[in-house]
Amino acid sequence: MSPMAAPSIELRGVTRIYGAGSADEVRALRGVDLSLSPGEFLSVAGPSGCGKTTLLNLLGLLDSPTSGEVRWNGQAVGQRTDRARARMRLEGVGFIFQRFYLLPTLTARENVELPMRALRVPHGERNRRADRLLDEVGLRGREKAFPHQLSGGEEQRVAVARALANDPGLLLADEPTGELDSGNTQAILALLERVRRDHEASLVVVTHNPEVARRARRHITMRDGGILEDVREA
Amino acid sequence: MRRWGRGGSLRHSRLQFVLAVSAIATAVALPVVLVSVGGGVSAHELANLQNAGYQVVVSAGGVHGIADAHNWTKKILGIAGVTAASPVLSVTIDAFTPSGAYAPVLAEGVIPGEFTPTLGPAEAGLFPSPLPLGDPTDLVHYANGTYAGPATYDVLVSSPYADRYHVVGGQKLVLSPVANRSLGTTYTVTGIFGVPPSVLGPTGAFAVLLPLSDLQTLTGFAGGAATVRDAADTIQIAVAGSIATSPTALNQVRNAVQALFPYYGVSSLTQEAQQLQAAAGVLTGFYLALSSVGITVGLLFLALVLLRRVEADRRSIGIRRAIGIPSRTIAAEILGDGAMLALVGAAAGVVGGYLLVEALAAWATSAVQEAARLAVFDPVLLGELVIAIVGLSLLAGAIATRAALRTEITEALR
Repeated sequence: MSPMAAPSIELRGVTRIYGAGSADEVRALRGVDLSLSPGEFLSVAGPSGCGKTTLLNLLGLLDSPTSGEVRWNGQAVGQRTDRARARMRLEGVGFIFQRFYLLPTLTARENVELPMRALRVPHGERNRRADRLLDEVGLRGREKAFPHQLSGGEEQRVAVARALANDPGLLLADEPTGELDSGNTQAILALLERVRRDHEASLVVVTHNPEVARRARRHITMRDGGILEDVREA
Repeated sequence: MRRWGRGGSLRHSRLQFVLAVSAIATAVALPVVLVSVGGGVSAHELANLQNAGYQVVVSAGGVHGIADAHNWTKKILGIAGVTAASPVLSVTIDAFTPSGAYAPVLAEGVIPGEFTPTLGPAEAGLFPSPLPLGDPTDLVHYANGTYAGPATYDVLVSSPYADRYHVVGGQKLVLSPVANRSLGTTYTVTGIFGVPPSVLGPTGAFAVLLPLSDLQTLTGFAGGAATVRDAADTIQIAVAGSIATSPTALNQVRNAVQALFPYYGVSSLTQEAQQLQAAAGVLTGFYLALSSVGITVGLLFLALVLLRRVEADRRSIGIRRAIGIPSRTIAAEILGDGAMLALVGAAAGVVGGYLLVEALAAWATSAVQEAARLAVFDPVLLGELVIAIVGLSLLAGAIATRAALRTEITEALR
């Protein structure tokens, strides 16, 4: 399986409105412009409800903008069909959710194998790769454990391994350490940095944790659906 | 691996599984019973018809509606190719044994020398040959419609009746048109005949056979104010073997008979078989239409179970879609689960229906028991039924799939 190179991503005047036209209309993003270079490590901060998760969903093609454009390597992709966007997510994006979102009926290894199974990776290679990834995240010997048998830190590490399963060029993490203690937070951060470096992937992390943000080279602060501040470290 | 969500592995929703399978099994068992028993009885009747010795039958509208049966029979016997013709009058009368026991019996009046050749080989073998009922032509007693000739007062009784009332040859039996021995006539039992298996049960096979003219005078069907003269219900006609096997030649005989009786119905065995088959087909269609109500309810229940599971597994489905698992994979798994439930339910329904028919054949009351014993389980029809159920389950699965895939991923992950 050849890894997908990290894409250059561009958001042009992206607006996302939920429940447009209804009394409950929510303008989650308001004309956001953002460029992300391949291999970049970006942290996104801001108060609750400012649009961080919506931004992440649009970058990862989980959602489509109400207006504006999402471009990957110069190609408009935001309005592609569900099928096309699912394929791009499968091959090119790894998601790490705050609440892990492991499938409870699958073992740790089966959770990691899930994206590979969808890409029809042969059984033997799938097993080897899942074992290697679980080894990388320090879960050797826990391959057959179900999520309810794992600690929070272990679950998040399985989620990281699953996100890396298809060697994505873009890693998106939404509060990846939000429910972890300090020790597990350090371990996950070190792991994310390492895989970003080793896999030459772009990494976008939504976080409130200054310790997490400090590791990034670029920091975005959001407010009311817009980018308030965009700081690049030298 | 069927793990499209929390309940994707069916072990997590055992109760729903059992309920859905039970609903479908119940819905399928009904047509299995109806079609197999109904089809079996129809096939049995068809076999009886096809094994009959007569190939053409004359019938009249209403009961005992053929008049001048003796004379018409003589004319029919004059048609080329006809080898035997027997009018048959069927009337329920009462039979009294010397010990005083009495029972209603089906009495059939026939022309003794003509009757047996109009039976099929199997049925003819049940009767003594020749029929020991005196005058084989029945013309002596008939006496050109005057009924002034001497009657034989001979009667044959069926073996179930003889067994039940310990009747033997040579014994006297009083036959009466009403349940009053004093109004009856004394006959001598000259023989016993067997009866084929009947869906009416053993008491339905209490029967006697006597000369047509005897039964006519006994019951008033020789002629009276309220009846036609020399009455019969049917005239059964046998033809030569070469004609019986040629539809064209048989039709010519039928037309010749019809020309004699423009006002009576004349049908060939082929026509009767076709009519019976058509009726059986209509009945099967009716059974299936009736059963479709139950099947629809079963499939709606399946759709509800699948929808319930999709709802319960909303987040898991959302996670899978977020990862990039193709929608068609998720749809295939939901449809596959629905089809699997339907397959198990349909198979259980077929087995349940079969066991129910077996139970009816073993323990039901006589008529139901006899019908159940005739049941025919057509593997092709049952297979088609199962395939149809599985096919229809895809509709139920499609409803659940639509619900699963319509939810926004971001909504499902909240």
